[in-house]
Amino acid sequence: MAPFDYAPDRPDNIDVILNGLDRYNPETTSVFQDYVMQQCENQTYDCYANLALLKLYQFNPHLTRDETITNILVKSLTVFPSPDFSLCLSLLPSHILSPLKTSHSNPAAGDAPLSEAVQKLFVLNNLLNGADYAAFWATLDSDDLYADLVADVAGFEELMRVRIAVTVSGVMREVDRGVLEGWLNCTGREFERFVSEVCQWKVEGNVVKVPLNKENEAKGTVVRENVKFDQFARVIKRAYEQPA
Amino acid sequence: MSYRQQAQPYQQADGPARAPADESDDEEALVNEYREQTQYDEDGMVDLDRATSLGAASQQDIQAQLQAAATPLEFQATLDTKFASYDNYCSLFHFILNSDGPVDLEMPNYYWAWEVIDEFIYQFNSFCSYRQRVALRNENAEEIQLLRENPNTWGCYSVLNVLYSLIQRSAISEQLAAAKRGEDASLYAGEYGNRPLYKMLGYFSIIGLLRVHCLLGDFSLALKTLDDIELNNKKGMFARHTTAHITTYYYIGFSYMMMRRYADAIRMFSHILVYISRTKNFQKNSQFDTNAKTVDQMHVLIAISVAFQPTRLDDTIHTALREKYGEQFNRMQRGGPDSIPIFEELFRAACPKFISPTPPDFDNPEVNIDPVEHQVTIFMAEVRNNMWSPTVRSYLKLYTTMDLKKLAGFLEVEPEKLRHWLLVNKQRSRQVKWNGGGLLDGTVENLSDLDYAMEGDLIHISESKTGRRLVEWYLRNLQRTY
Repeated sequence: MAPFDYAPDRPDNIDVILNGLDRYNPETTSVFQDYVMQQCENQTYDCYANLALLKLYQFNPHLTRDETITNILVKSLTVFPSPDFSLCLSLLPSHILSPLKTSHSNPAAGDAPLSEAVQKLFVLNNLLNGADYAAFWATLDSDDLYADLVADVAGFEELMRVRIAVTVSGVMREVDRGVLEGWLNCTGREFERFVSEVCQWKVEGNVVKVPLNKENEAKGTVVRENVKFDQFARVIKRAYEQPA
Repeated sequence: MSYRQQAQPYQQADGPARAPADESDDEEALVNEYREQTQYDEDGMVDLDRATSLGAASQQDIQAQLQAAATPLEFQATLDTKFASYDNYCSLFHFILNSDGPVDLEMPNYYWAWEVIDEFIYQFNSFCSYRQRVALRNENAEEIQLLRENPNTWGCYSVLNVLYSLIQRSAISEQLAAAKRGEDASLYAGEYGNRPLYKMLGYFSIIGLLRVHCLLGDFSLALKTLDDIELNNKKGMFARHTTAHITTYYYIGFSYMMMRRYADAIRMFSHILVYISRTKNFQKNSQFDTNAKTVDQMHVLIAISVAFQPTRLDDTIHTALREKYGEQFNRMQRGGPDSIPIFEELFRAACPKFISPTPPDFDNPEVNIDPVEHQVTIFMAEVRNNMWSPTVRSYLKLYTTMDLKKLAGFLEVEPEKLRHWLLVNKQRSRQVKWNGGGLLDGTVENLSDLDYAMEGDLIHISESKTGRRLVEWYLRNLQRTY
């Protein structure tokens, strides 16, 4: 696997900024912001660059753009169960996860809406990490704010379905159709299309068969000792020392 | 170090008045540099182009100042003292970095460079924490006023600026890269980097950056910072000073832990804890208390990491854990809701004192939450997510096949819930693990000796076993025949 700071689709100019001191230069904020937008549109992802932008916001709170922050968080949901979402959260202001006060008791805190949005996404992240995919979709549908939050990320639902399918394929060889429909939040022909075309799995009556792969095989292994030639040095040496 | 006791709440003292405005001009400029500067010159170095306040001072004064920079502030230092200390650091680093050519200074002792960077960051750390606390409490109007008027004192940009400038002036990254390739580092050192003063300041600034990034919650950048340092190199400069050695491993291990790379975190903590138990050399050191505290914190962190990622520890560490944290260690390993308060308590005790880099919002005291609380919340979400994994593992170990509904019956949970737990545990058993290269490199590996897959409701369980070790037996017996 590639190192954490590597992204295959990263443009050269971003790479240069990330590797130099310009990553702290507030003037690069807009470059990073455009790059986030680009990732949203092209379905690419670059966590390391996004963290650099969050750091610029951390140092220069007046430059903060709420929409960009939520876009970064939504993008990081699409790569669960990686720690990316948590790593992004760690760079946000410390009050962002503290319980919200009832509407107007805190008039001066201009980012109350940001807190609310981040906390909503935090809920989604926890459901995904807890593998409660059905609850993830139900929560996503439960509030119009969610629709707004994920609107900028092209193909969000499809990306999430693919990601869920990947985690399923690592554990399941065969899964009940009803269960999987709930996890992928689609039924009928749409479900069959996704499962057979995108995942290349087989639907057989009421079960879905996942082809064997390295992860869902779960073969018992025996760790064998690693024998090195050097270990026999003395034996071989002796063979020469004492001709029979 | 960040774990020393924080200064007592500010007490009114008849300290000297705040330095007059003309003296703080230097620092203002230093702070604003990044913001104002539209162009960086080719190596990114900042050229202040200003006479230094130290230029005319006598050698003796400078020696006194060097000593002072490496000396901890006294326990109950007032805000004024903290401001003054910041001013002193600024003028000292300004003198070192922006004089006409490298300055000719004798370091008071061999490890002065580490001590001064250590103290510089410690004071930055405690100042930020203190400022945040004053804002949250909203009681001491006088202090609030003083802090409002000096938003740039101990600013994050000036602290980072010092560290990065020292790194660049000394060309330490180039030197370390050359040494790694087996070339002569001094060829790359340049006019500054060949002098011990600059070389060591640059080197320890890298360790300093690791620490600052970690304190700011930027764990991946913290690890990235160490790309040029070879940890395995026993002759590495950081390994020659016990506190530097311990500090480096503490922050690397912690950053790994926050990136959920528990196996790597355990590897780091084990390495240094075993080393310390073998040498025990820090007892003689004047920083005994600080070191002992960090070592204790690392015991806690390794216990937390092992709870996430069951691992056989070195016997000495295991014994130490049993002695100090026996009950807590057991409860964390058992998991479940009972373990939650233990995780939280221990994490709080062993994590760095995270900081917010910008001045707090004095108009809305309640939003200035301690950054430690923020990181605790994030970490605890991961703990809750994993709390059933030990239960799942302990049952699965007993079977080769098992029906999901039957197991759910044993555990008295809904079958659907158990299905989630099984997914979670399996996902978490796959972790990125380092196997050479930079600290951020690694491959996803199955780190559990238990593996399973589900076929509908049927769970197939497999174990990885260690095969018999034959070679040694064979060689030993062969010996006998001679």
